[in-house]
Parts: sequence; C-alpha cells; structure tokens
Amino acid sequence: MIMEIKKMDWVQEKEKWQPVIGLEIHVQLNTQSKMFSSESYHFGDEPNTHIGVVSTGQPGSLPTINRKAVEQTVLFGCAVQAKVSLMSHFDRKSYFYPDTPKNYQVTQFNCPLLREGHISCELNDGQTKHFKIHHAHLEEDSGVLKHFTHFSGVDYNRSGVPILEIVSEACLHSAQEAVAYAMAIKAIVEYLDISRGNMEEGCLRMDTNISVRRKETKELRNKIEIKNMTSFSYMETAITSEIERQIQFYSLHPEEEIESGTYRFEQGTKELVLMRTKEQAEDYRYFPEPDLPPIILTEKYIDSIRRLLPELPRDRHRRYLLELHLPRQATILLVNEKKLSDYFEEGLKECSQPRALANWLTVEFPGRLKELGKKIWSSGIPCKQIAELVNLIEQGRITGKIAKSIADEMVKEPGVPPEVLIQRNSLYQPVHDTAQVEQIIDRVLEKNPTSIADYLSGKKKAFSFLVGEVMKHSSGKAPPNLVNELLLKKIHNRTDFK
Amino acid sequence: MHDLSGILLRQLFIKNELSATEICNFFLHRIEQYEPALGSFLSIFSKRALYKAEELDAKRAQNKPLGKLAAIPIAIKDNIHVLGERTSCGSKFLSNYRALFDATVTRLIEEEDGVILGKTNLDEFAMGSSTEKSAFQLTKNPWDLSCSPGGSSGGSAAAVAARLCPISLGSDTGGSIRQPAAFCGIVGFKPSYGRVSRYGLVSFASSLDQIGPLTTTVADAALMMEVIGQHCKYDSTCLSFPLNNPLNQLKTPFKEKITLGIPKSFLKNLEREIGQNFQYAVESCEKLGYSIIEVDLDILNYSIAVYHILSTAEASTNLARFDGIRFGNRSLQAKTLIEVLDLSREEGFGFEVKQRILLGTYLLSSGYQEAHYRQAQKMRQLIIESFKKVFEKCQMIITPTAPSAAFELGYIQDSLEMSLQDIYTVPASLAGLPAISIPSGFSSKGLPLALHITARQFHDNELLQLAYHIEKSQPFIQKIPPQFDDNGD
Repeated sequence: MIMEIKKMDWVQEKEKWQPVIGLEIHVQLNTQSKMFSSESYHFGDEPNTHIGVVSTGQPGSLPTINRKAVEQTVLFGCAVQAKVSLMSHFDRKSYFYPDTPKNYQVTQFNCPLLREGHISCELNDGQTKHFKIHHAHLEEDSGVLKHFTHFSGVDYNRSGVPILEIVSEACLHSAQEAVAYAMAIKAIVEYLDISRGNMEEGCLRMDTNISVRRKETKELRNKIEIKNMTSFSYMETAITSEIERQIQFYSLHPEEEIESGTYRFEQGTKELVLMRTKEQAEDYRYFPEPDLPPIILTEKYIDSIRRLLPELPRDRHRRYLLELHLPRQATILLVNEKKLSDYFEEGLKECSQPRALANWLTVEFPGRLKELGKKIWSSGIPCKQIAELVNLIEQGRITGKIAKSIADEMVKEPGVPPEVLIQRNSLYQPVHDTAQVEQIIDRVLEKNPTSIADYLSGKKKAFSFLVGEVMKHSSGKAPPNLVNELLLKKIHNRTDFK
Repeated sequence: MHDLSGILLRQLFIKNELSATEICNFFLHRIEQYEPALGSFLSIFSKRALYKAEELDAKRAQNKPLGKLAAIPIAIKDNIHVLGERTSCGSKFLSNYRALFDATVTRLIEEEDGVILGKTNLDEFAMGSSTEKSAFQLTKNPWDLSCSPGGSSGGSAAAVAARLCPISLGSDTGGSIRQPAAFCGIVGFKPSYGRVSRYGLVSFASSLDQIGPLTTTVADAALMMEVIGQHCKYDSTCLSFPLNNPLNQLKTPFKEKITLGIPKSFLKNLEREIGQNFQYAVESCEKLGYSIIEVDLDILNYSIAVYHILSTAEASTNLARFDGIRFGNRSLQAKTLIEVLDLSREEGFGFEVKQRILLGTYLLSSGYQEAHYRQAQKMRQLIIESFKKVFEKCQMIITPTAPSAAFELGYIQDSLEMSLQDIYTVPASLAGLPAISIPSGFSSKGLPLALHITARQFHDNELLQLAYHIEKSQPFIQKIPPQFDDNGD
C-alpha cells in the first residue's frame, strides 16, 4: 500500500495524524507464594511442580489473599503517587480456556487497589514527559499451554502467580513515548524490588491499544489491541508499524473506519496474528468474587508502607544530573537499568570522579563486554576495581591510554585488581623518575620552538600539543600531572632566561 | 443403642460401658440392614471406620485423652472432602473423583475422635430440595418410604432419622440442611455465614453455602458446633474467632426476657395443617414464657427470586472448573478442545444443574447483569437491613420450616415449584443468619412437621439455647420412624 503514496506526500500525511496509545503492563510480582495460595513459583522448572489444589482449581479449594502482594501493590502506588483505595475487591472474569484452571480469573475489575498514578520520564532528546496511570490492580497469572505434535499439555506452575496490571491512560502519542513509559515502569518495579523484572522470563508483559486521529480532532477512532509483547524493541516495532498501517488505511479510505480487533504479537515471525474482532469479543461476565472479602486498608497502613519507599528512579535521575553532574545520556542509561545503577553506586563509594566512572560503566566496559554477551554487573569485575582504575588516572599514576589497556585485561581476567595488572606489566608502570621525564621534555621543547611561541602568545592548544608530544615520547607512561607541571615550569624558565 | 444421641454414645464409651468398635459395628450393621430400602449413603467406610474405632479403643485402654466426638459415628454429605475418598457431589461428572485433601470440618471431626461412617446422598451439586436430582440413587423418607426426605442434604437427614448414625453433616445454601431435617423429623442447624469453614466443601453458591450438623437432639448440634465452629485460615470468609462453648450455654436459662417475632403477613398463605402446627408451636413458646410479637418482613416475598438470581450466578462460575481437563468426567467422544469442554459437561451434568448454569450465565451477561444480578444484590442488602430492624424488637424470628410436610417422590416436577420449598429457609441464607429447624409435631399422615427459628447474626449460641428449651418442652422430639425403631441387638 505504501507504494501508492508518494514518499513526500507520505511524510506530510503522517504529520497530520496523532497516534493515541494506551498500555497495559502486566508485572509478575516476586512474592514467595502465589496470589491466592501458598505454592512457590520458579521460572523454567519442570512442568507442574509448583502446583496445589488452589492453582489447579480443585473442587472444594478456596483462595486466600497474599498480603505481601497487596503490600507490594500499595508500595508501587506510593511510588507513582496513586490514590490507594481504602476498599477494593476482587472480581471473577469468566472465560473457558485450559490455562485458566477455574475457567475464571480472579482479578480486580470494579474496585482496583490503585487509581490515578503519575509517571514522568525523560525521552532521549532530553524532553521530560508526564504520563498518567489510569489504574493498577492485582490478579492471578494463568498457566501455560504447551503444544506437541499430537497433543497439547498445560503447565500450571505459573497459574496463580501474582500479577500487578498497570493500565495507562490513552496518553501516549508515539512508539518512543510508549517505550519510555514502559521502561520507566520497569525501572520503578525494580527499584521497589517487587518484581524480578526479567523480560526473558515473562516478568513484564505488555498489551497495547492503538488508534490514530487527525491532529485537529479530539474524538477517538476504533482501536486495535496488540497483546503479549515481551520486549521493548518488539513493542516499538509493533506500535510503529501499526500506526503507519492505520494512517495509510485512513489516507486511502478517508470515509471508512478500521475494524476493532485484538492481535497477538508473534515473537518468532514478528507479525501480528488476529485473535478476534470486536464482534467475536468475549463477555467476561465480571462479578464480585464471593470467596474473598473486600480488601480494607487504613491510612495508617498506607503510611507505614510509604515509609518503606527506597530511592526511586526519578530521584536518582535528579541526583545524577544535579549533584553528580553526569551527562544526560549516561544518566538515562544508568537510571533505567537498576542493576547497572546499583553497581555504579558501589563504585561511587570509592571514587570521587562520578563523570569518569559513569563513562567507564556506560561506554568503555559495555563495549568490551558486548561480544562476550555479558553484563558488567554480572561480569565478575567488582565496581570497586573500576573505581580504582579511575582513581589511578586521576592521581596521574597512569594515563588514559594505559587505563584502556588495563580495562581490556580486566575483562579478560575478571576480578584481578588494576594494581596487580600494572605490577605484572612494566609497560603499564609510569615513569616516576623526574629526571627521565625532564629529559624527554627538554627534547620536545628543543624541537618545537614555534609551539612554545604560540603558547606564550595565548594559544592554549599549543600547550596540549606539547603535552601530547611528551606523552608520545614516553610511550604514554609519563604521569600526566607531572608532565603538565614540569612542562609549565620549563617553558617559563626558558622565557625567564631570555 | 440406636436411640442414643451422640453425646450419650460418647459417655458410654468414656465410661467403658461400650467400646468404640461395638458402637461402630452396631451402626454398620444397621446400615447393612436398612440402607437398601433407604438409599441414604453413596459410600460406606466400613474398614476405615472400624480401624478408627479400634484406634480409639486402644487409646482408651492407654488412658489417653479422648476427643469431644470420641466414638460417635458420623456421616458426611458427599460434597465435603474426606482425603482419599470419593467426593461425587451426586454427579456423574465426579463419579470417580477422589478428594486430594480433607475438608476443614473433616479434619476437626477426626481430631476430636469422631468416626466417619461414610458419605451421604444429595441432589447433584446440592441443587434441589428432594434429593431426587442425585445422579446415582433415590433416597427415601424413613417416615414414609414413598416420600422424599427433602434436600439437598436428603441422605444426611434420612440416615440420622433412621438412626443409621446419630449425627451427620450437611450443607445449606437456601435450606438444604433445614428442610430435609424438617421432612425427616430431626434437628438441622445452619450456622451464621462464616461460622464454619467451607474449605473442602464443593462450592455451589459461595456467598450462601454453609456446612452444618443434622442431629436427633439440639445438644448434639451444639456439640458439633463446638467442634466445627472454628476459624480456618484456608477460608477467607470464615470468622476469625471460634464459637464460644455452645454446649455449656445450652442449659443455662436466658438472662433477659426473650421476644420472638412472627412475620404474620409473610405467612398468610400457610397450608391448613402447617398453620395449625405452627400455631401450636407459638402457643408452646408462650407457655415457656417468651413474648410473641408480630413483625413486618413482607420484603421476604422477594427472597426466592433474589436467591435464584444470586445462587445461579455464583454457581455458573463455581461449576465452570468442571471441564474434563484436569479431573472428573472427560467425554470419550471428544476429539478437540471445544469438544472436551462441551461433551464432558453435556454428559457429566444432569438437567437441573445445566438449567441453573445456563440461567446464571445469562443473568451475569453484559446487558442483563444490571437488570437482574445487580438488582438482586441490592434486594439482598435491603433484606439484611430489614432483618436488622426487626431484630431491634425481638431476638429471634419463628416460622414453619417448610410450606408442606414431605411430598411423594416424583410429586414435584417443576423446578420453580420445587424452589418454593425454600420460601421460609432462604431468607436466613440471604442475610447470613443462623437458623435451625426442630421437630414440632406430625401431619395427619404421620409425617414430621417442623419449626424454623432464625436468630441475629453470630448469635448461634442463643439460637441453640432457645431451640434446646423448646425441645425440652415438646413430647414428639426424638421420635423414631417405626420402621427403623427396632434395636438391632
């Protein structure tokens, strides 16, 4: 279809439309036991080894509410300044599917635990955006169907695992915003330590509703729902292409409206598969779960949970920018990945150069670890050692160039401190002999009288050039501080003589 | 021995006058003798019961402490789990289902040394008022074998009335303990909602279901409540505090003056014989010194409709788990997933159950829920409030238990007409109030009639206390159906 629209026209056409996106993020909570029973859960274990009478829906079994899951939800509510309901209750959502053992899911439909939350996040261009959470509620996860050649099986290990479903307002207007919002949520649940947050294990699953409208209009058109996206990049791809599809459709069929429907994102083919159209939409027959009393909370309880709030991503973000003066890009990278950020915090304890440390953690080491497929926080290199590396540069004991070689070796031999690496290799050992450095400086100054003149006439660059020359002749081993100091002294000595 | 209450049997056992094995064998023999005519049991645990009895005899020989139910034979309705035994719920769907855990009540009975004799017949999934809807067998009324024992706990009521055991457990959603107790001339007690744990009771309508005892005396009912009226952490709707010594409170006189309310205009269309019997019961209450006042509870005319909407709505989802995937009947014809669901349910459920599931599903559907289910919920709230208002003027309310004496098997075919059986029992269920049915005389045909007493929420003890005082003044209490009244020894 895109062939039918000329490229220039297409760019102009896209400008006229505003995408309207809502996200439902399902966060698996990391409680010890399931939402309504005492069974544990561990991803990847043998099928049906974490099951019991409740999570397989045996007749006569009854649910009981996991208090920890309620506590975690309230904590999340405090983190996003949501209204925590003093009274909420569970509902039954009825549909027949073998992964749902009771053939209804216990969820919160009419009275969710949280309403009206706020998420602020910074986009890559430095713009800060504020998004609204419509509500968030607790529910139980389903089991997992497994299909074999001649039969299918159900694994109920996951059945009953607590899910915090966070539903945004339809306030996102691009795939990038949707991703930024989702990443912010992921960061928050990780900072609160209420989810393992592992995308590969399905700890975070996203559904999205997408429609587009002419920028000058307010009313919403039919929306398309895409279910079960388990990675941010897939989500960005899926949303971007769905937005384009809808805009194309409306530009070619201005009088028509797309048919509402629900699609599933196929991880393998990266294609959308139609699950059902609006006409086939199920009637879930929600009604209050009679096996569970309402959840009644007090302000006192909510306050006691609020006091447990740790430093949140947005606080850390502010601290990195305003107190540590980190660059924006590094700040976003660090803050959005709690493990990296915590790792950075470890290093900070031993290091007074946050900017340099951040650079080593977000640029230098990830580059070296990428091909190994490792993350720095699980690489075996203690951040303390990277801090040490930064300190060595700062103290002038090694040059930046040598530091990079040492970093290479730290990646190869995780855990070996930079000091040991330096001692093992004489090439890394700085020239401590002042006389030797002075000799080199003398030689350099002999050869570059014009640079001296340039420097003396106010050209700062000339000085840097001279420093570089000295470093080159010392094979980078001359301590930069010493070089600076001696060079200045010698230049001025020379001029004094003249 | 058959005419002894549970409490007396335990006393004889404790005093070394009878062994648990003797008691157990005696009742097992009675079951063997009478059960073919009665059809009250779906399974009989001869071995298990005798094993337990021997254990108790050994315990007594070693002077170990004996439980509150020591050596008392007890039958359990077949919708309550006993670990490892079949829980059929009177349904083909579960004809081979074995319980994976003990119901809390089962555990409590065993902890107090009760001897579980077997599981009793019921209307399929406790849906019915005659026990005729059992997929397996008809249960007969011991007073007239051509009559229904009532339902849905008909097996539990018939077994106790015929003295095949002194005590049984039933479940009551809209009258399923009280109406069969009335039909069979015994005591049937439905506790306050939440008083007894529902863990291990196969749910019919979760917000109404309660387990309770069927006994020959009020004291036995109080004894059972003392055992099963406990908090249970596996049932979130269960009260957090235990029932406080119901047996002790029983015999004490009332500290305050007791006033009983009669909802006269709600009772205006009583059948002649029922009306006369009720009048007699009212007079005997007056003789006992209780004041009688008239109360307005006309709102209860809506209770059957409200009950039907709420109970079928809840049942439609409670019974959704019976799909042939994990347990129970799976159709052999089924080749696809949809067929497994459709055919397994088609084959496994009886007509009454299907009808209620369909009705409940419809009532919850979008567009209809507002008109029916939500309205019914509002009405339920109004009924609760009306009761509260009435209880400002009186402590308890009395009515007949059922609009008629036991009817002939097969007599009522229409579901709606059958549902009218519950007219006097359903209100207490909707309001979560404790209620009891105690014998109040006989019809001209010699069938038992009964008085129904409803008390304030959580005033279960007070209710048992009143029932006990009335029971003492009645000549026809503890009458035994003639056909079953020979002492087998």
